[in-house]
Amino acid sequence: MIRTPLRPLARVLDARQKGENPDAIERENLRIRHEQMRDRMRLRAEGRLLVLAIMFFGAFSVIGARMGMLSASEPTEPRAAATGASIIASRADITDRQGRVLATNMSTHSLYAHPQQIYRKEQAVAALTEIFPDLDGEALLKRFKDPKRKFMWIRKKLSPEQMQAVHDIGEPGLLFGPREMRLYPNGALAAHVLGGASFGREGVHSAEVIGTAGIEKYFDEELRDPAREGAPLQLSIDLSVQAASERVLDAGMKLMNAKGAASVLMDVHTGEVISIASLPDFDPNDRPRPPTQGSPSDSPLFNRAVQGVYELGSTFKIFAAAQAMELGLVGPQTVIDTAPPFKVGGHRIGEFNNHNYGPISVEKIIVKSSNRGTGKMALAIGTQRQQDFLKSLGFFEATPLEIVEAQGGAPLLPKRWTDLSSVTISYGHGLSTSPLHLAAGYAAIANGGRVVRPTLLKQDGPQHGPRVLSEASAAASRTMLRKVVTEGTASFGEVPGYHVGGKTGTADKPKERGGGYYSDKTITTFAAIFPAHDPKYVLIVTLDEPVETSGTKPRRTAGWTAVPVAAEMIGRIAPLLGLRPQHDRGQLERIIETSQ
Amino acid sequence: MTYLEYSVKTTPSGWRKILYLNWPLVVLLSAVAGVGFLMLYSVAGGSFSPWAEPQMKRYLLGLTAMFVVALVPIWFWRSMALAIYGLAFFLLILVEFFGAVGMGAQRWIDIGFMRLQPSEVMKIAMVVLLAAYYDWLPLAKTSRPLWVILPVLIIVAPTMLVLTQPDLGTAILLLTAGGLMMFLAGVHWLYFASVIAAGAGGIWLVFQSRGTEWQLLKDYQFRRIDTFLDPSTDPLGAGYHITQAKIAMGSGGWTGKGFMQGTQSRLNFLPEKHTDFIFNTLAEEFGFVGGVSLLLLYVLILVFCVFAALQNRDRFSSLLTLGIGLTFFLFFAVNMSMVMGLAPVVGVPLPLVSYGGSAMLVLMIAFGLVQSAHIHRPR
Repeated sequence: MIRTPLRPLARVLDARQKGENPDAIERENLRIRHEQMRDRMRLRAEGRLLVLAIMFFGAFSVIGARMGMLSASEPTEPRAAATGASIIASRADITDRQGRVLATNMSTHSLYAHPQQIYRKEQAVAALTEIFPDLDGEALLKRFKDPKRKFMWIRKKLSPEQMQAVHDIGEPGLLFGPREMRLYPNGALAAHVLGGASFGREGVHSAEVIGTAGIEKYFDEELRDPAREGAPLQLSIDLSVQAASERVLDAGMKLMNAKGAASVLMDVHTGEVISIASLPDFDPNDRPRPPTQGSPSDSPLFNRAVQGVYELGSTFKIFAAAQAMELGLVGPQTVIDTAPPFKVGGHRIGEFNNHNYGPISVEKIIVKSSNRGTGKMALAIGTQRQQDFLKSLGFFEATPLEIVEAQGGAPLLPKRWTDLSSVTISYGHGLSTSPLHLAAGYAAIANGGRVVRPTLLKQDGPQHGPRVLSEASAAASRTMLRKVVTEGTASFGEVPGYHVGGKTGTADKPKERGGGYYSDKTITTFAAIFPAHDPKYVLIVTLDEPVETSGTKPRRTAGWTAVPVAAEMIGRIAPLLGLRPQHDRGQLERIIETSQ
Repeated sequence: MTYLEYSVKTTPSGWRKILYLNWPLVVLLSAVAGVGFLMLYSVAGGSFSPWAEPQMKRYLLGLTAMFVVALVPIWFWRSMALAIYGLAFFLLILVEFFGAVGMGAQRWIDIGFMRLQPSEVMKIAMVVLLAAYYDWLPLAKTSRPLWVILPVLIIVAPTMLVLTQPDLGTAILLLTAGGLMMFLAGVHWLYFASVIAAGAGGIWLVFQSRGTEWQLLKDYQFRRIDTFLDPSTDPLGAGYHITQAKIAMGSGGWTGKGFMQGTQSRLNFLPEKHTDFIFNTLAEEFGFVGGVSLLLLYVLILVFCVFAALQNRDRFSSLLTLGIGLTFFLFFAVNMSMVMGLAPVVGVPLPLVSYGGSAMLVLMIAFGLVQSAHIHRPR
């Protein structure tokens, strides 16, 4: 910075020459410099003020504009959805094959507390315990009085009545949070298929609903996927058929004094499970906790139709007969000697009640249910071919049904597949499978020899897998199954108007700790196909420890227990399935006469 | 002997000073305070107690204090600047000390008839000291680093004390008001640019570090910042204040629901309805028109301050007047942005309207200083 001197030498000298006081020059210059400085300062200050003024103006404008915006806005109460959306998009519904709702969502409220805002703590606790009798009042009061506690849950789901009652207490510290809960409007119906749902991550404003079992868990991701936009998951289950099956099965279970029962109804062409039931059951709206004691297989949560693997007894005989015919080893009328003795690997093979059927045809072996006859066919088939055949029918792996429990239903196979294994397995001992496995196996015979994959999802049309039997062998097998009902062990299986075929199976229950079988506990099974001439459905009914007591001696065979239950069930569900009754001509004439 | 003191003879003396008061400013202040009485009467459900009456008494006390301060020559106040600042600083430390003993009453000192908030006193004391400092400092030295550090210390020391109380709102006000004082005094703009750049860069760095390995803050701290900056993510929790405040304003509409008809505030939905959020009560009852009217009153007060400062050829008086106007502006700008959801809720009262003793008294004394500067300006 170049400064102009306050006492410029030239002017001072000049002034001195003129005899003036040079100090005046200095004063004058000082004054000018001060004025210049003041002006600069002023300029700068005014510049700064201008910047500030612009800032003020900006701030005022923003505030004014905001005020206008808010005044123009519609006042809306805050919505919990704003935060809820971050946790869940609504879970998709589950429907039956006709679109009827099996699982849906319902808005309800949770109850939580801000203990510090509860003014009359004693009264609040008293009122709460009156509304919820199972609340522990003392513990609650203790928690309310804890000065550190700012938040606590009291109830996760409230009924509207409970909510109103809590609201009427009038405590500002008792608060409600909206939340969506899973609702199964049909209660226990199809409980084992649906499984259940509970809350995952929980917030005050909403909670995540996650599947805990069954198809809810299997398809959990898909059901929660927001991209689904709430499109329902459609099952192959038919609500009315399911309801009728469960009703009949429950009545049958009680009538036969059984401790458990299961049934599977499958479409033989598509593999669709139309109804599947396991008793005892539970309400998925209030799913019980897994049992801590006793056998888990006796719990209501246990799915006997899918998880339960049992030796299903004589129902397996038809597979041996069908394969023997398929391989050309026998024909339906080939005669086999079933007279004792028949020893395999040092073991004597016996018959039910020590019968001796003598030399009989293959058809009769199935109709009479001869162990020795079937065993001899199995030996002719050989262990390897038998294994291959059963494997192709799906008896070696857990069923691929779309519920998480299905993986738990892996069949129990013999460790070493000996000739003895082949023989016993041919009449259904030594290989434990679930009723659903059996249904899939029978479906292959019923549909003309092709494998189907059991599924719970609605299919568009037939879903035939690879062929395992020729049409002819399958047809011959079906004829035998029909004869079991018309002239064999399943005579109670005849349903007027619906031609039922099937095979009974009675297996002694193995002791839980090993060491043989109970003599007075059985698993009875009836595997049915109907209508027998052109089967559309296969039905498996299994009863656990049934006893039929109408006679002088308690009867525990399938023919006396599972068969009548299955027959009753077919009589109920066949019309629901749209099957027309076909009566014999004689009966038909009588109907015409009476109607005239 | 400064230029100011030469002119003593031309300034009014004795009771004639009253005639030379900046009367329009007095009227405007009274009008704003009157709005406050009206609103406090309304939020109490049409009653002078518990808020309107004490507020009126305090206003009268404040008015008296303003006159007294106004009649004392401005050069007295300039020479007292350091003492006032020292006293305020001492009180702040005292409050820290008593706060530790006295169960969380950290912001207050009980002085008998009222509770004094030293941080309020500090706001004015700091402005006075900065004005005196820049009046004393030769202009040429204004931007020298050494002479910049001193006022920075004057600003930062009390800010830190206030921050530990903790009172984030006041701390921000102190910092901003101090910074703007330095800006007005003519400190080189590069200082401000670099501080702002460093601040912005620091914030940017902190947010950039989020989710990386060298994360500078803990996750929960980030989440806290999130809700602080955007309370709408939690409308029933942290955002409750602001949600209810917005509802109040929205339901007021353009012309409002009418005096004493505001349901949001009267039914206690609106928190802090008589202090920080009193503006929402006004907006609910008198609508946009009422809100803008109050805003205009504030603008006028500020405009009068700026004109008084421009008229005043004394550097101290001019800086002081601007500084006090600024502080006043910051008060209501922050408060209004806060209650309208433009800024996070930091707890700054609406000047002269919100219920509160020391804020009102301190502000009136500050305007007393403005008046004094006006009366004793060189002519």
